[in-house]
Amino acid sequence: MSKVLTIAFTEYLNAVRSKAFIVGIIMMPIMMGAGLIMQVLSESNVDIQERKFAVLDESGELYDYLEEALEARNSGIYKTGKIEFKGLGAVGEGLEVESSGGGESASLEEDELAIREQYLPAFSMEKYEHGDESRSAELVLSDRVRNGELFAFVVIGKNILAERTRPKDQVYYYSASSTYKDLSKWIRSTIQDKVEDSRFAAKGIDLELVADLQRLITFDARGLVEESIDGEEVGGEEDNDIQSFAIPFGSVMLLFMLIMMSAPQALNVVLEEKMQKISEVLVSAVTPFQLMLGKLAGTILLSMTLSLVYLGSIFIATHYFEMEAMIPMRIYAWFLLFQLMAMAIFSSLFAAVGAACSEIRDAQSLITPGMMILMIPMFFLVVVLKSPDSALAVGLSLFPPATPMLMMLRVAIDPGPPMWQLILSVILTAGFTVGCVWAAGKVFRIGLLSSGQAPTLKNLVGWVFSK
Amino acid sequence: MNAVRLSGVTKTYGAHRAVDSLDLEIPMGSVYGFIGPNGSGKTTTIRMILHIIHPDQGEIEVLGKCETRASNNRIGYLPEERGMYKKMSVKRLLTYYGMLKGMAKRDARRAGAEWMERLGLGEWLDKKVEALSKGMAQKVQFISTVISAPELVILDEPFSGLDPVNLEVLREAILELRNAGSTVIFSTHDMSMAEQMCDSIFMIYRGKKVLDGTVAGVRASYRADTIRLKLSGGRAVLDDLEGIETINDMGTEQEVRFSGDSQELLQRLMAVTTVNRFEISEPSLHNIFVRIAGPEAEEVAHV
Repeated sequence: MSKVLTIAFTEYLNAVRSKAFIVGIIMMPIMMGAGLIMQVLSESNVDIQERKFAVLDESGELYDYLEEALEARNSGIYKTGKIEFKGLGAVGEGLEVESSGGGESASLEEDELAIREQYLPAFSMEKYEHGDESRSAELVLSDRVRNGELFAFVVIGKNILAERTRPKDQVYYYSASSTYKDLSKWIRSTIQDKVEDSRFAAKGIDLELVADLQRLITFDARGLVEESIDGEEVGGEEDNDIQSFAIPFGSVMLLFMLIMMSAPQALNVVLEEKMQKISEVLVSAVTPFQLMLGKLAGTILLSMTLSLVYLGSIFIATHYFEMEAMIPMRIYAWFLLFQLMAMAIFSSLFAAVGAACSEIRDAQSLITPGMMILMIPMFFLVVVLKSPDSALAVGLSLFPPATPMLMMLRVAIDPGPPMWQLILSVILTAGFTVGCVWAAGKVFRIGLLSSGQAPTLKNLVGWVFSK
Repeated sequence: MNAVRLSGVTKTYGAHRAVDSLDLEIPMGSVYGFIGPNGSGKTTTIRMILHIIHPDQGEIEVLGKCETRASNNRIGYLPEERGMYKKMSVKRLLTYYGMLKGMAKRDARRAGAEWMERLGLGEWLDKKVEALSKGMAQKVQFISTVISAPELVILDEPFSGLDPVNLEVLREAILELRNAGSTVIFSTHDMSMAEQMCDSIFMIYRGKKVLDGTVAGVRASYRADTIRLKLSGGRAVLDDLEGIETINDMGTEQEVRFSGDSQELLQRLMAVTTVNRFEISEPSLHNIFVRIAGPEAEEVAHV
């Protein structure tokens, strides 16, 4: 046992002292932080370039309405807020600053300023009257779009307001930028509103009455209500997307990421030792099974360290922002248990492959089935997330090796699976884990001293059942 | 008492019989040399002694027990193909190997430092393994094998690739181990080294034992039939003589094996030519090795 621990700690120290680990563990939060900063930066640097379009209104009824609607829209493209203006250069481009203090006498450092920041592009339009008989309006306007004078143009059919419209009375929108949808959407909905209003008016229906009758109902999704010890009704809180979606999904993704970051380490170290002829030196001091257990324990320790860093950060962050109720402690506990079992399964698999191969290339092709086993549960995430208690979700999550991922997902979705399912899944996975470690041990023992051509899957199965 | 005992041990890989019905007894406290050309079964025999691989037939007893494995703390094993963690410091590496052999961390660290000093590598203790020369690395590998003062030390080709200076250092270290009471088994191609160091030798060829006994005993058993000659008539005189089995022509001298009475050979030679030298010599292990293994061993024996 002490030899296994010696190997485990040496393995662990080798890994955590390596530059790759230190860089990885620091880089991950830095990259995540950089991602957030990029998002914030990109939000404040949105595309606010004006979009100009021409309108050929053959009906002659809609242009003025569009112009009015456009003015209303353009006045709503600014966010307003207040900032404390501290000295030099805090106000950048794109910000319109208005003094709210109302007086030059106020100290600049202490002044509070209202800011108006544009976050959507302004639209502008021009009325197009077609006068050129030699070319169609569409051709002329398309040329102007190509020249960059216009972003798009709209042709409104003559009888757009008629009760029954023919194809040529539709609205046609022309643009060179088919991926920019904001403008076309705005034009479409604005004209739609106007046409609807005019249809109601033609039938003599009061528009205010229509609006009143069509008002939306209030729909409030809430969790279940329970009776507290004092007999009061508690719970029934508003559904929270973070709790119902982000936490289950995030916990599985974190579990998957931790396995992907640590389990291949088992393959790398075993294969490297084999390639550098260290394996035989080691098996002259310990049995192959002790060696493999040591590697497994080292890899699991490594993964638990990563877990400690990430879960610890989440725990501290949720406490700091007083959001700890969102992630109950039982989720942390189940996460660690499932991580432990998943790591034992996949590390033993990876270590066995490392021992069986003599070259990285062979290991890569032999590890593909293992990666598939790791990936398959991920394909069912959405299905299980939507109906965590469906027969499919229960079936998949009970049987290893899918259990760690899918049961974790179900645990994180309130109210979680029934206890019997949890216990059964843990028993089955624990049994499967022992089986995996045993089989990997057999492959490891034979593979470690083999050389030359990589074994096939059939060979590996043969090794497992050899004496 | 024997440190190692093999009886009727056979190991087959597919159609190839690597070791065939091998019986061997290695007494405690001896230095035992395993000699034989490449692929003759030396490493397979060593791996079986250590239970790294299992024999198909036969019984192996090591240090009085049938289930003694390489992982046993009483055994030190230096495999033929050996590597080290390049990024580890020598001190950490030796401590690690010592601990894997059941030593306490402090003892392993101290023993490692002592051995490094003894083999003249004191100032390299804190260096990384990748900074060592090949000879130094080989000495460090040797230290990792003997750091825990094992009762039985098995060294597979410990001298391959060593320069004469390092070779001498290692030879002395092995003899020190013997003097301290350890049993040492080593395999080698280097016949002169085996001759100098071993109390007994064991030669395996094509999986079968062809020689086993003390060096003096083995050489004595080949003594009578090896005659070194220097003749005025040169090698040509020997061609017509009956009873000569092999001729090893060394230019001005020839070494021959003669099946009959050596005095009769001398008389027959004197009748046809002037005999400048007639010496009944003990064959070297090299000669015996070549004689048994045939021409294919000639190249190996010169390694």
